[in-house]
Amino acid sequence: MNLNIEQVNALPVRTWSWLGINDRTIEEEIPEILPYKKDPLITKDINNEKDILFAINNGSGYKVELDNVATDTDKNSNVNYKDMNNSIYYTDVSNNMKSKYLESTKEKVSSIPTGMGENTANYIKNNNNTGLFIRIPSGKKYKEPIFLEYDLDEENKTVVDLNTIYAEEDSEVTVVMHYKSKKGIPAFHSGLTYLFAEKNAIINLLQIQLLSEDALHLNDIGAVIENGGVINLVHTELGGSKAYNGCKADLKGSNSKINIETIYFGDKNRSIDMNYVMNHYGKNSNSQIHVNGALLDQSSKTFRGTIDFKKGAAGSIGQEEEYNLLFSPQIRNLTAPLILCEEENVEGKHGANSGKIDENKLFYMMSRGLDELSAKKLMIEAAFRPAMEQIPFTNLQDQISEYVKERLNNIESI
Amino acid sequence: MDNLEKNTTSKKTFVEDVDRSIYDVKDKVNASYQSHKGLTPEIVDEISREKNDPEWMREFRQNALNLYNSIQLPKWGPNLDELNMNDIVTYVRPNTAMQAKWEEVPSDIKNTFERLGIPQAERMSLAGVGAQYDSEVVYHNVREEVKSQGVIYTDMESALREHEDMVRSHFMKLVPPNDHKFAALHGAVWSGGSFVYVPPGVKVEIPLQSYFRLNAPGAGQFEHTLIIVDKGADLHFIEGCSAPKYNVANLHAGCVELYVEEGARLRYSTIENWSKNMFNLNTKRAVVEKEGKIEWVSGSFGSHISYLYPMSILKGENSKMEYTGITFAGKGQNLDTGVKVVHGAPNTSSIMNSKSISKDGGASTFRSAIRIASNAVGSKSAVSCESLMLDDNSRSDTIPVMDIRNDEVDVGHEAKIGRISDDTIFYLMSRGISEADARAMIVSGFAEPIAKELPLEYAVEMNNLIRLEMEGTIG
Repeated sequence: MNLNIEQVNALPVRTWSWLGINDRTIEEEIPEILPYKKDPLITKDINNEKDILFAINNGSGYKVELDNVATDTDKNSNVNYKDMNNSIYYTDVSNNMKSKYLESTKEKVSSIPTGMGENTANYIKNNNNTGLFIRIPSGKKYKEPIFLEYDLDEENKTVVDLNTIYAEEDSEVTVVMHYKSKKGIPAFHSGLTYLFAEKNAIINLLQIQLLSEDALHLNDIGAVIENGGVINLVHTELGGSKAYNGCKADLKGSNSKINIETIYFGDKNRSIDMNYVMNHYGKNSNSQIHVNGALLDQSSKTFRGTIDFKKGAAGSIGQEEEYNLLFSPQIRNLTAPLILCEEENVEGKHGANSGKIDENKLFYMMSRGLDELSAKKLMIEAAFRPAMEQIPFTNLQDQISEYVKERLNNIESI
Repeated sequence: MDNLEKNTTSKKTFVEDVDRSIYDVKDKVNASYQSHKGLTPEIVDEISREKNDPEWMREFRQNALNLYNSIQLPKWGPNLDELNMNDIVTYVRPNTAMQAKWEEVPSDIKNTFERLGIPQAERMSLAGVGAQYDSEVVYHNVREEVKSQGVIYTDMESALREHEDMVRSHFMKLVPPNDHKFAALHGAVWSGGSFVYVPPGVKVEIPLQSYFRLNAPGAGQFEHTLIIVDKGADLHFIEGCSAPKYNVANLHAGCVELYVEEGARLRYSTIENWSKNMFNLNTKRAVVEKEGKIEWVSGSFGSHISYLYPMSILKGENSKMEYTGITFAGKGQNLDTGVKVVHGAPNTSSIMNSKSISKDGGASTFRSAIRIASNAVGSKSAVSCESLMLDDNSRSDTIPVMDIRNDEVDVGHEAKIGRISDDTIFYLMSRGISEADARAMIVSGFAEPIAKELPLEYAVEMNNLIRLEMEGTIG
């Protein structure tokens, strides 16, 4: 089927159209979207947490299924849950939690603007076949990472996941989403995640994308952070033939914070297209974006990073750094690090650097016995290390390392 | 530090607007000819007749008009809804012919330029001066020693007659009329401006200058500057512009085309101080051949709305570009300025250093584009952009883009935005400097890297723009 989405990853402020960076149009052939039949939840301990509102879209279409419902009253009122996710089941639901979910979560989350834009968000909302909903109650710090794995294959060629991660005041949660696919499968992943961190809450979200080179990948995030709230985001955009990634965060509250650590790896004809927009509304809010990546062969990358200080965001800090290692005369590296400001008492900085590996570093490594190719490969891996160290699962870190090594092993010269 | 913060929150440093008194004097409009408002083929033909254009130029104008009518307004940048071309008078010829002796310029026009210091500047430090009043050049003079070196410095209309082949082969080739809507407008109604040719190996020791003064209300200025610096030659050209403030809009859609040949160097300095009703939609472009160098120095202080992005095409190997610019956006101003460069050959380099100050509701945007082509191996580019906001009624945006198409490059970009640091104020005060003086020093220091690149009289003027009243410090 045909996928056509316009105004994807749009810059908040347009610039010269001849640069080709204002936005993108996605026009691709994708497999038919069918229910995702696998259970993505790897860490099952969450099922034992009675006070956490947790649900996985079970991929059975537009039906509501219930499990472990406490009372008859709960059963009847579950019909209302169709509004949020079309097909969900709950581990356990109390009347109090349902009420919070229906009224406040729905209202707060569904209109959050996202990085890839309204057209993409609407597409995912209208076509999702899986997804996670989690709401952590006030004061609860759930330390165990919740690990979800989406594995696309011949029977499950599409994953369109609609996710909500809602952390109430003083709570904490870590979610890891891992996307992978078999080689030779023209897989399609499109995901939308809403993040809402209430006062002093912490959300850690790690999205690990290791799709094969036959896959199309769209990943969209919309986030709101209240007073003292923190969102830590790690993106590894290492796979797919074309990868689109957007994140828009509204730092609404004072002392709200977001940290984004992203790595990307382009080789062959891969393309990576990113759009991060940090809207500072609250006083003393803080956004930090670090992007590291490498481009080889005929690959291309577009990075748009916007720090937008709104009036009233006094004392805020926004910082953006991007380092690109370039290894081929045929790459294309397009960067637009924007700072928009209508508040005088702020500190906004961005720095971008693109080029070859530092010759001194290369010389040093070769003087230690490595040949040039091995030294360059090692430095690419090193560029990815800061992001990988934030992944809480050692075996997942190993998977990523192996994935990168395998890609690098296929390279005969850089 | 806490006490400092408490004491400073209630007071504000007042940074005055540009002192416009000498620019705001309005001469009575004494035009010998003035076209009707608006833009029609008949008006374009009238202008062409008034200027005794050759037929190819008349046709050129008409083709440009067709393009103007078909090209859309840009979908980015400050809003241009207030600009109504039907209200703009595209041609106003002052009641005088061009003079080579200052004494022979009519006194009302002469007085305007003398107030602005132009003839005095010529006497003191310039090799040649061109003065344009509304749509025509009224004064042009080149010192004998410069002439004897073979330097041609004349108005565009004379150049069109006396050096037609050279003009025709270069005119609007670098900025073609289909480039954008206001390039097309310029192509249709251009008038006045300067032509400079510097022969091979000639170093023009002291600068040439053109000054553009728009006097008639609701008029447009569409001067064309064409400079060719031949192989190994060296030139510094200064451009200044101003207009008195009216309640109706004025429009400036000028065009500057610079050809820097092999091994040549051209420094192009501009101080723009148009009135705050002016729409300044100017296009400047340079092409630089092998081993050549273009230096842009730009000070933008005026206009209501500005679109200004000098562009350099580094066509030859080892060619270079440097850009130094400052923008000061005050009340009622939306100044969208910046720089563009295309690295089209190996081992080219570009350095861009931009500063902006916004105050009192002004909006300043730094917009840049660096494109490094796939064959531009060994190229380097560095951009530094700093913005200082003096209050929270203003706006400052930075929109840089880098498009890199090969791996043998070194490209760096950094940008900072903020206000005057309390720590820096505290340090200076601890050295015995008053708070007001400390803040004044910091703001002057912020602008200093740009000021030192400006011609002296302009640097002095720029420093005079920043006067701090003793009763306040910026919060």
